[in-house]
Amino acid sequence: MGKTVLSVENLSTFYKTDKGISRAVENVSFTVEEGEILGLIGESGCGKSTVAQSILRLIEYPGKVVKGKVFLHEKELISASEADLYDIRWSEISVIPQSAMNALNPVHRIGEQIMEAILIHEHVSKKEALDRTKVLLELVGIDRERWKSYPHEFSGGMKQRVAIAMALACYPKMIISDESTTGLDVLTQSQVIALLKDLQRKMNLSIILISHDLPMVTSISDKIAIMYAGKLVEWASTDDILHDARHPYSRALLDATPDLINRDKKIVSIPGTVPNLVNIKSCCRFHTRCPFAFERCKVEEPELKEVKPGHFAACFLEEENHELTYTS
Amino acid sequence: MLKFYVGKFLQYFLVIVLMLTLNFLLPRLMPGNPLVFLAGEDVGFMTSEEKNEILDKHGLNDSIPQQYISYIKNIVTGDFGYSYQQKRSIADLLKERMPWTLLLAGLGLVISTIIGVMFGALSAWRRGSSTDANLLTMFMFLSAMPSFWIGMILVSIFSAQLGLFPVFGAESGWSNLTGMDRFFDILRHLVLPLTTLVLISVTNTFMIMRYSMLNVLGEDYIMMAKAKGVRDRVIKYKHAMRNALLPVATVFMLSLGFMLGGATVIETVFAYPGVGRLMFESVVSRDYPLIQATFLIITFSVVIANLLADILYPFIDPKVGGQREK
Repeated sequence: MGKTVLSVENLSTFYKTDKGISRAVENVSFTVEEGEILGLIGESGCGKSTVAQSILRLIEYPGKVVKGKVFLHEKELISASEADLYDIRWSEISVIPQSAMNALNPVHRIGEQIMEAILIHEHVSKKEALDRTKVLLELVGIDRERWKSYPHEFSGGMKQRVAIAMALACYPKMIISDESTTGLDVLTQSQVIALLKDLQRKMNLSIILISHDLPMVTSISDKIAIMYAGKLVEWASTDDILHDARHPYSRALLDATPDLINRDKKIVSIPGTVPNLVNIKSCCRFHTRCPFAFERCKVEEPELKEVKPGHFAACFLEEENHELTYTS
Repeated sequence: MLKFYVGKFLQYFLVIVLMLTLNFLLPRLMPGNPLVFLAGEDVGFMTSEEKNEILDKHGLNDSIPQQYISYIKNIVTGDFGYSYQQKRSIADLLKERMPWTLLLAGLGLVISTIIGVMFGALSAWRRGSSTDANLLTMFMFLSAMPSFWIGMILVSIFSAQLGLFPVFGAESGWSNLTGMDRFFDILRHLVLPLTTLVLISVTNTFMIMRYSMLNVLGEDYIMMAKAKGVRDRVIKYKHAMRNALLPVATVFMLSLGFMLGGATVIETVFAYPGVGRLMFESVVSRDYPLIQATFLIITFSVVIANLLADILYPFIDPKVGGQREK
């Protein structure tokens, strides 16, 4: 693969709550290369969307990015000035939002909303922007004359397509798709995913695909990063995750996913619940639910380490050479 | 779209017919004889011929359907009957009082909406700051004060103590002012009642605007606009304001309907010759035809304001009124 487009280093985003500091995202590092689809997986509340918002610096009070660096083509975003950010947003990195139903302004025509993004970032005439908007709509399979329509005149799946068209408006190199297919029925979801994959191939886009739907993500991602309770626990190629997962949580997640081909597979749920991230002390955040946890997991935080070329995991079992097998 | 409007018009026409009928039936369903009311105490000494003459004069010997037709005819031609207490035609009375109410209540509504929207938006944009807390406290305090009390305080400070503004009335009737002099005279009379009206009604708009703006700011499309690189100013005015104003517009339209009812309390405190005070006077003196006419006028204006709201709303909120164009 080509050069690195986005690199996230030790990103930490905390939220201030009445009870203390919630360590929503801590020490998350990964990179995305040109033309690569990275699937960012995790259950609800694990900090996936916070990572996305932190990359674009959209975190607002009471949240704050407390540490870390985000490089987009060598340009550092966390320390960038607001003015620079306004230029970078959308022209170089765009978002397909969680629930496109609410991400379109209900009182403006969808064409105007797409044009707005173009007109902010490029010195083109209104007519040129409109022409491009029509092309974009056609690209995502919507009649070009529908630019005049208001969001409520579209179905959920079509709104999602509009959101994709909008994300492509300034031909960015990097797109973050934040749970963008959640809430759509499986048929529409697969259409949208196929469209995304198609566009990615044509335009050589890099995509971060945030989702909690493991099978969907494995079907189109080159690499997968798995998050648990605000930490990145494993990051590897899709193949490695599927066949050689090293972190107990990754393994548990795979075991909890039904398999269409191997129908006899027993689905195992993960016992226990996600820990409260407010004032959480130094430990492996999965230790309360991990069948292999030992003393060290309760007092020390495992770092993300390369277990083999291109495969990273944050687990002490790797260091201690424990065999990862189930006793059940 | 045309179908939408025709349907709305038919609906409102039906409402007006129902309302007129109810207004016609109410006094006829009330117990007692209209003669007592028309002729006063003398009715006991009248012969049946004299009684008939009076009833004939007022068309009360006709059949109910006939009375209904002439009633509708009168309303359509703007004849609301005769006020026995004020000894004047009700249409004339209303014609005289309505401009003052429109001036006072109309200006009050517009000014309090503008102030409420501005401060409501500001408060929401600075949520949790001291600006927000101070504005909220101030407006809550204002809304907790009774209007007659504010009126009296203002009169005692600015009229009685400082002598800046006149105490009552809408203009200095005896001075025969013309042109700009008259304009400023009316303005000077207007200041205190208008201030009182704005002070008591501004909190409503403020609270609605603040809440609505807070809701809108939490919407995904605001974050999307930010992600698109839209400047904060543009987000506030183009993306947030448009949406946040929708509930305010609804309340504005509704208040527009009740505007003709006037600010009864304030008009009474300041002896302002508007419809509100007329209604108060008519109730106090049991002037039934006048009561009926003022209520009718208020109902009319509520219906018209609602119709106006229905016509205008599709232009404010694209979600209403179906598809405008294909």
